[in-house]
Amino acid sequence: MSMEDYDFLFKIVLIGNAGVGKTCLVRRFTQGLFPPGQGATIGVDFMIKTVEINGEKVKLQIWDTAGQERFRSITQSYYRSANALILTYDITCEESFRCLPEWLREIEQYASNKVITVLVGNKIDLAERREVSQQRAEEFSEAQDMYYLETSAKESDNVEKLFLDLACRLISEARQNTLVNNVSSPLPGEGKSISYLTCCNFN
Amino acid sequence: MGTKMADLDSPQKLSGVSLPEGMGGGRCSEISTELIRSLTELQELEAVYERLCGEEKVVERELDALLEQQNTIESKMVTLHRMGPNLQLIEGDAKQLAGMITFTCNLAENVSSKVRQLDLAKNRLYQAIQRADDILDLKFCMDGVQTALRNEDYEQAAAHIHRYLCLDKSVIELSRQGKEGSMIDANLKLLQEAEQRLKAIVTEKFAIATKEGDLPQVERFFKIFPLLGLHEEGLSKFSEYLCKQVASKAEENLLLVLGTDMSDRRAAVIFADTLTLLFEGIARIVETHQPIVETYYGPGRLYTLIKYLQVECDRQVEKVVDKFIKQRDYHQQFRHVQNSLMRNSTTEKIEPRELDPILTEVTLMNARSELYLRFLRKRISSDFEVGDSMVSEEVKQEHQKSLDKLLNNCLLSCTMQELIGFYITMEEYFMRETVNKAVALDTYEKGQLTSSMVDDVFYIVKKCIGRALSSSSIDCLCAMINLATTELESDFRDVLCNKLRMGFPATTLQDIQRGVTSAVNIMHSSLQQGKFDTKGIESTDEAKLSFLSDCTKLFSQGIGGEQAQAKFDSCLSDLAAVSNKFRDLLQEGLTELNSTAIKPQVQPWINTFLSVSHNIEEEEFNDYEANDPWVQQFILNLEQQMAEFKASLSPVIYDSLTGLMTSLVAVELERVVLKSTFNRLGGLQFDKELRSLIAYLTTVTTWTIRDKFARLSQMATILNLERVTEILDYWGANSGPLTWRLTPAEVRQVLALRIDFRSEDIKRLRL
Repeated sequence: MSMEDYDFLFKIVLIGNAGVGKTCLVRRFTQGLFPPGQGATIGVDFMIKTVEINGEKVKLQIWDTAGQERFRSITQSYYRSANALILTYDITCEESFRCLPEWLREIEQYASNKVITVLVGNKIDLAERREVSQQRAEEFSEAQDMYYLETSAKESDNVEKLFLDLACRLISEARQNTLVNNVSSPLPGEGKSISYLTCCNFN
Repeated sequence: MGTKMADLDSPQKLSGVSLPEGMGGGRCSEISTELIRSLTELQELEAVYERLCGEEKVVERELDALLEQQNTIESKMVTLHRMGPNLQLIEGDAKQLAGMITFTCNLAENVSSKVRQLDLAKNRLYQAIQRADDILDLKFCMDGVQTALRNEDYEQAAAHIHRYLCLDKSVIELSRQGKEGSMIDANLKLLQEAEQRLKAIVTEKFAIATKEGDLPQVERFFKIFPLLGLHEEGLSKFSEYLCKQVASKAEENLLLVLGTDMSDRRAAVIFADTLTLLFEGIARIVETHQPIVETYYGPGRLYTLIKYLQVECDRQVEKVVDKFIKQRDYHQQFRHVQNSLMRNSTTEKIEPRELDPILTEVTLMNARSELYLRFLRKRISSDFEVGDSMVSEEVKQEHQKSLDKLLNNCLLSCTMQELIGFYITMEEYFMRETVNKAVALDTYEKGQLTSSMVDDVFYIVKKCIGRALSSSSIDCLCAMINLATTELESDFRDVLCNKLRMGFPATTLQDIQRGVTSAVNIMHSSLQQGKFDTKGIESTDEAKLSFLSDCTKLFSQGIGGEQAQAKFDSCLSDLAAVSNKFRDLLQEGLTELNSTAIKPQVQPWINTFLSVSHNIEEEEFNDYEANDPWVQQFILNLEQQMAEFKASLSPVIYDSLTGLMTSLVAVELERVVLKSTFNRLGGLQFDKELRSLIAYLTTVTTWTIRDKFARLSQMATILNLERVTEILDYWGANSGPLTWRLTPAEVRQVLALRIDFRSEDIKRLRL
């Protein structure tokens, strides 16, 4: 792995109800596309995009999960190794917002306690059909101590910002983490130490 | 005076200056009359005069030059005059030519318009012939259909109708307007009636044939539908017939299942077998009837047929799966497992072994479904491909999309995804509980390097991942790899950590050793399990390899393509990374072992160095030669101690441990050396001792230990010096290949150990 050309590697997992636009967000960010009539995701999809932030190459491994209930046991298995979770809902769908606490319980149960969670309200291009006000979502995310952003995969609003801001935060967290980790020096043969946030310390 | 002169001069000058202006010679003096008039000073006037004279000369020169050209111009004029008559001739010729061209052009246009007319006439003639042919055909069809229908030769009749349907509608319209309009009208009506009749007959006969299960008749009429333009109807009716066959066969099979004796050899996978039979039946139908569909309905129609068949397939799958869920208590078991997975559940836990058969059966069911869906995908894709060779990219994508939609959204896919969803949770439970059991039943047999749970745990993990792999679902496999990573990285690692901690408080060395070595070995083999490029070959490693080759096989079958490969690679590399965590743990354990088990033993042995005087005379030095005072005994002790470890540790771990031990020896020895005093011979003695020690340690480790003993060797060098200043032969610019590991302060400190060196000399040294 040390042979590969990047300074950081992060895993980002998108979760949220079916049909809120997770796949579209990922497609928009990784390929610049908005494929209309996207079928439901099956299991998990996997995309990679390398971005440069302040001269550092950051490889983002983006796992796009299926929102449908029957894939839950598959998607849950990806939580633990995720550095960041993007919890997505649809601003024109009250139901998708109301399910958020359930998703947070899942995160609590399966994800690493160091995971960064971002709440994303998608489909702001359909403002006239909005069912969840921005204020409500902001209050909710504040109470849960989450970063909140509204996006439109269709109009490409805030999509870059979402991923790049997240990458920045992951980098700074990783930096802090490596400082802690440097106490126990890496062993020979490990090569260049790639900063995984999930590194746990032996004590 | 000056002014007077100027006044006198000015009128002359004026005329002189104005002259060229009057001639219109293009060149005008720079000096204006006004300027001259305004001049009053003689000097200025003179200057102006001078300049005017200069200008006059220039003008004269120019005039001369112009006059010189006169001759040339004149001769040119003569030539021009001579050319006059020639020009008139040319004008006449040109007019003639223009006339000819116009004529030719008209001629050409005349000819081409005739050709065009001919061409048009020819085309019309062709059309007329075509139409005459069509009308003849139409007549032929009209007559033919009647006779064919009378003779019950439906194929012939359908062929006639097909011909009629293929005719240009405008032709029919036109022929109505002709002389025999009314007759043709009547005939057309007959033909249309015949068409309707034929349609009705074919539908009816087809229905009878399907009811009677008369396959040749079914196929006979199935072939007629497309001739009548009833592709969709033909396919739908035919698939109705096929579906009925599928359904009756499936019902038969399901009844057989319900009657199966539990002791039957295949009882444990009877539902997977039933699904297999269903899929095989449909596949056989597709296989048999694809040629007919292709030949009589054209390419690209297989999709429609399979779409209809899949509906029946879904219906049958639902029945089988329902029975499976009921008979195997699948949902019940799942809920039970779910409850047990809650950390603080009080319900009685399911015995993981009981889940074994059902887990195997579910994966088998899914594998069969995947195989079947892959078969359909391949068939439909290639059928589309044949038809799509000429169409636009959009149509192709449209076809691909409808294919994806059919296969992804069919009830079969959804049902299997649901079953696999439950399976993963149950398999996770199975893995976790079985690992717990293996840990609880951990035994250590004397002579073995590892205790039983090492192999057991990895056997279990391998089994679970292997089973997930056998489901042929890449998402299922990845999920199980993820869960295995979690299990090893958190739960099993915790177990090892606890073992390590428990290993140390034991009182006797033997106990420590046993506790630690088993734990350490566990980790060591774990390490090998996770690593791809491990050098040591153990069974777990082979398992990994076979596992990888299985996966490769899966990919060679083309499941999921590149995307799936990337997903799988990522998950697997996470699993492999677990080995690093275990390696960290192993290192922790060894460090701990070194400091708690080895250090307390080694320290006193090294401390005895202090009781051996290194402030010695020739006689004692010789005596030491014969009766070694310290190092031989120390080596012997070390050897004995390490031998015990060697017996119970795997070679790689033993090697790491000796590495730690040599570092410990180096550090401890340095400590006691700094506490001793030496004279010249004592230094020599120490040098000898150090050499034997290094020689011994080199034989027991594969690590290079020179580096670890570099500081001590340099200390020995210093203690061996003749004089204080001799150090300068080795220091700084004179150090040559030697890299000093000692700081100047340390060098002074070591020099001070020599009682025969004066401290002033040492202080005076410039290092």
